[in-house]
Amino acid sequence: MIDPDATGCDHFAVHALDPSIAGQLAEDLPRPDFLRIIRTFHDDLTRLTAELAAAVRQGDARGFQRAAHSLAGAAGAVGALRLEAAARRGMLGAEAPSPALAAQIGAEAQAALVALADLIA
Amino acid sequence: MSQPPARILLVEDTPTQAEVAKALLRDLGVEIRHAETAGRALADAQAFPPDAILLDLELPDFSGFELMRKLRAEGVEAAIIVVTANASVNTAVEAMRQGAVDFIVKPYAKARLTVTLTNALEKRALTQELKTVRAQLSRDRFFGFIGASAPMQAVYRTIESVAASRASVFITGESGTGKELAAEAIHKASPRAAKPFVALNCGAIPRDLLESEVFGHVKGAFTGATDNRVGAAKQADGGTLFLDEIGEMPLEMQVKLLRFVQTGSFQPVGASRTEKVDVRFVCATNRDPLAEVEAGRFREDLYYRLYVVPLALPPLRERGADAVLIARVLLAQANREEGRRFRGFAPEAEQAMQAYPWPGNVRQLQNVVRNVVVLHDGEVVTPAMLPPMLLRAAPRGGLAGQPVPAEPSLPAEPAVAPAEPLLPAEPAAAPADPVALPGVPMPALPAPAPEPVFFAPPPVVYVASPPPPPRIEPLAVMEKRLILAALAETQNDVARAAALLEINPSTVYRKLQSWKAAG
Repeated sequence: MIDPDATGCDHFAVHALDPSIAGQLAEDLPRPDFLRIIRTFHDDLTRLTAELAAAVRQGDARGFQRAAHSLAGAAGAVGALRLEAAARRGMLGAEAPSPALAAQIGAEAQAALVALADLIA
Repeated sequence: MSQPPARILLVEDTPTQAEVAKALLRDLGVEIRHAETAGRALADAQAFPPDAILLDLELPDFSGFELMRKLRAEGVEAAIIVVTANASVNTAVEAMRQGAVDFIVKPYAKARLTVTLTNALEKRALTQELKTVRAQLSRDRFFGFIGASAPMQAVYRTIESVAASRASVFITGESGTGKELAAEAIHKASPRAAKPFVALNCGAIPRDLLESEVFGHVKGAFTGATDNRVGAAKQADGGTLFLDEIGEMPLEMQVKLLRFVQTGSFQPVGASRTEKVDVRFVCATNRDPLAEVEAGRFREDLYYRLYVVPLALPPLRERGADAVLIARVLLAQANREEGRRFRGFAPEAEQAMQAYPWPGNVRQLQNVVRNVVVLHDGEVVTPAMLPPMLLRAAPRGGLAGQPVPAEPSLPAEPAVAPAEPLLPAEPAAAPADPVALPGVPMPALPAPAPEPVFFAPPPVVYVASPPPPPRIEPLAVMEKRLILAALAETQNDVARAAALLEINPSTVYRKLQSWKAAG
């Protein structure tokens, strides 16, 4: 379950990918369309996690929030709930970007991609 | 005819979200454009006018709400559907307050997006249809016509409906109702608009020349036919031939016209071969065509050939406020042409114009407005500037504060003391010189009595004794006396004096000029 503030997401209780969202997409769409979405998602994660890391290095809180916002949006689209929750925490931080949070977001991004790969396998 | 695909503008800055939306929309047969920023969306909304906008609220340059305000300010009427991950009531309320038609929370399933978008597009189509219908029902201009009344809306609709067809149109209506204007409108609204519109007034052409005017002639066909001449039928090839006053066409000519209408072929006068043209017929008459058929003056077979689509033009008296609407336009036009500065009509003048039955219809109204503008100047057309006939027709009490001029008093009639004397007890000072108009050369009017008064009707006659027989004088003297009397009675208002004398105002001016020149 996800709490409304996305602060207490239980890593062990929530799968990296919500099957009701990702599965629904896979069901609703022709496979080429679904694959295109996954590829776009992969590109987004690659680009946005790099932006997060750069924001951490430069202490750019605004850049960190912006990248986290985009990550949350991308994650939400495919049902990557844990990634979305972590990214939303990154959107809220008003102070210096957190390297720990950036690392957690990166790990969740990896987990989501693995889960998606399983889904399309 | 199939509808063009609906245009959807997707405003979404996250590529994955955009890809999901595009993939879900793909099966709906819509045309999609994707904008990643609010600024791009503003530009796209103008370049690619969308039917619906799927709008993410959190955009990199400015918020979705701000974008909605800007879109509306720029006149974008697309149905806006807000798409957001923030499912709060406040966000939904604010979205609706800003003019969104619906609200979708991310992530969304295909079915949800489909239903929401379909509903929004249907609502948008209905709104557009309503707008179009309202605009059609409230048109106050249509080609050359001016008029917003219900009868004219029906005329506009008929013209629009019939324009694309090749069917003959038979226009009926009183003189001055705009029959030729209607014929031109049919032509201009038709696919033949780029081809000639040829109008022929059958009543204005001598019987002997009518056939040649319609069909043309060859050199030597008759005395005076010194060259080949192309007739109206040939000139109108590919276009529209308008036969006005067709009821005046002689019966023998009607036979030839019938053949032409039936076959599209005709024979120029004196020619040995026929010619074929593609012409759409529009004809008009101010008579009752069926009565003309019954009276034997119009061939029944021709009537049925031409009377395919009837178009009856309403007289001005049945067009409600159109008289005033037209008068305002004509006033502005006459102002420009005559260099006057009238801004409009006084309410009482408009009431008088609306109450008048306009037997000569729009043509008469044109003349009245022109007359007023030529003979007067000022910023407002007052009832006093209108011809007396209009004021007599005005409903009692309709012209607040403006006495309706009495009928011209005849000296021979025993008069009853009127409620207000027709003439002031003292010779009145001329009113602000209603005839001294800038730019209009005219002599100064004589003062009330600059010379011996030829005729001064007594202000009030109390005794009903028979008047003495008029003294017989030279006609020119009588004429001058009567004109000056009429001017005195109307306080030097030339237009009203002329109306009392039932002559043209220009005649009064001419006389005044000649008397002044004669000393």
